[in-house]
Amino acid sequence: MNEDVIFETVKRNVLEVLPDLEPDRVTMTGTLTDLGANSVDRADVVTMTMEDLGLVVPIAEFRDVHDIASLVDLLKRQA
Amino acid sequence: MSAGIEALNVYCGLAQIPVRSLFEGRGLDLDRMGNLMMRNRSVGLPFEDPVTNAVNAAVPIVDRLDPAERDRVEILITSTESGLDYSKSVASYVHEYLGLPRSCRVVEVKQACYAATAAVQMAVAYVASGVSPGAKALVIATDVALVDERAQYAEPATGAGAAAVLVGEDPRVLDVDLGAFGNHSYETLDSARPSPSFDIADSDRSLFAYLDCLTNCFEDYRSRVEGADFATTFDYLAMHTPFAGMVKAAHRKLMREFTGTAPAEAEEDFTRRVLPSLAYPSAVGNLCSGSVYLALCSLIDHLGDAGGPQPDDRARVGLYSYGSGCSSEFFSGLVDRRSAEELAAMRIPDHLAGRCALTFEEYAGLLPANLRCLVPDQDRRIDVEAYEGILDRARIDRDLLVNTGTKDYHRTYEWLSYE
Repeated sequence: MNEDVIFETVKRNVLEVLPDLEPDRVTMTGTLTDLGANSVDRADVVTMTMEDLGLVVPIAEFRDVHDIASLVDLLKRQA
Repeated sequence: MSAGIEALNVYCGLAQIPVRSLFEGRGLDLDRMGNLMMRNRSVGLPFEDPVTNAVNAAVPIVDRLDPAERDRVEILITSTESGLDYSKSVASYVHEYLGLPRSCRVVEVKQACYAATAAVQMAVAYVASGVSPGAKALVIATDVALVDERAQYAEPATGAGAAAVLVGEDPRVLDVDLGAFGNHSYETLDSARPSPSFDIADSDRSLFAYLDCLTNCFEDYRSRVEGADFATTFDYLAMHTPFAGMVKAAHRKLMREFTGTAPAEAEEDFTRRVLPSLAYPSAVGNLCSGSVYLALCSLIDHLGDAGGPQPDDRARVGLYSYGSGCSSEFFSGLVDRRSAEELAAMRIPDHLAGRCALTFEEYAGLLPANLRCLVPDQDRRIDVEAYEGILDRARIDRDLLVNTGTKDYHRTYEWLSYE
């Protein structure tokens, strides 16, 4: 699966969970925490993205994901 | 054969602090308060410990048993992540101060916040097996909090107290669906208590494990219960509640996964099926081992409040218990009018409303002594009267057990008379 498609899906879900966010602030180098996502928000972004991409990744795999780039990378490896 | 919960009660301490006061006192970001969905957290006092919490939760249940029934309490299990000794159980003290028969098995179990459910399920199986017809088992989940400012946003979410669950053949409170359960367990270090005086926690890892286990427990439940459906099989849900906002996220995830429901629709379902179970957890905080049973009390005392079935309708409840480390279970049972009547006799709303509201300064002043609660001092004296200023502001309507210290490592207790 194309990395850009995965990133755009993550971005769309970040903006759905955090509707007040300026879209340009969601970048590969940023972290969900820096964007103001709390732990529940982060879990929502991950599960919604998996759903959109039709992926089933054990959620425990995400525990070492610290920024958006590593999230995209993990999803890409599972696709 | 019927088996399940005959009686249920909680004890959530004599004091509480409004969550807003705690946020302001610690300088936490008030924008994050909404996510917790919490109003107050119970705060233990320095003369309260896992034994007093357990006994004070169970006395109203034991007092309602006649002597013949009391003699049939054949198993006492305390479930705690606040153990007092590597060898001697909390249950050994609780057995004494509850006056339970000498012909009683006495044991303590541990698996973070999950252990009480393992104990309840083993007790239900014992009763249902028929090896000792008419037997009862008392399971008490009991804990104290060891959090201070180091816990950051977990501090306002952490409660203290106990839940007492009497299991027997006349399941007036929860008629457990025998054989309907699902489990999921694996090793992880999401939160733990490596010493008697502090906790460690990785909030992201814990949240993910909680959500992961819920999905997998429900999958396992479905594999055992033909036709089980997350959206329609259960009239209500009661879950382990680290903080109410997390239960909301968990419900949303399962609705999405198992029913394809969009978040807006899930919100309506949440209000009707889940919100009644969160009233007490929002006023107490995470009761740890007893958390799912506090949620069940909340649900039964609020049946029908948000559009769900009324007490006169028999309603099926799905319950989810999770304990860090980790082990978890999804199970179910039936509640009805008898459940509501049985629980009303415990007057939990009066108990929660009667707690003394602490100022942040009073709260901060209690913490150093509270953090020593589980430390095994050879000799220690706790001056209960030193806390009269707080006790006078709490509404106490029965005798309560208090911890007066230790003597040669033996914990000492007295009954505090309310008159």
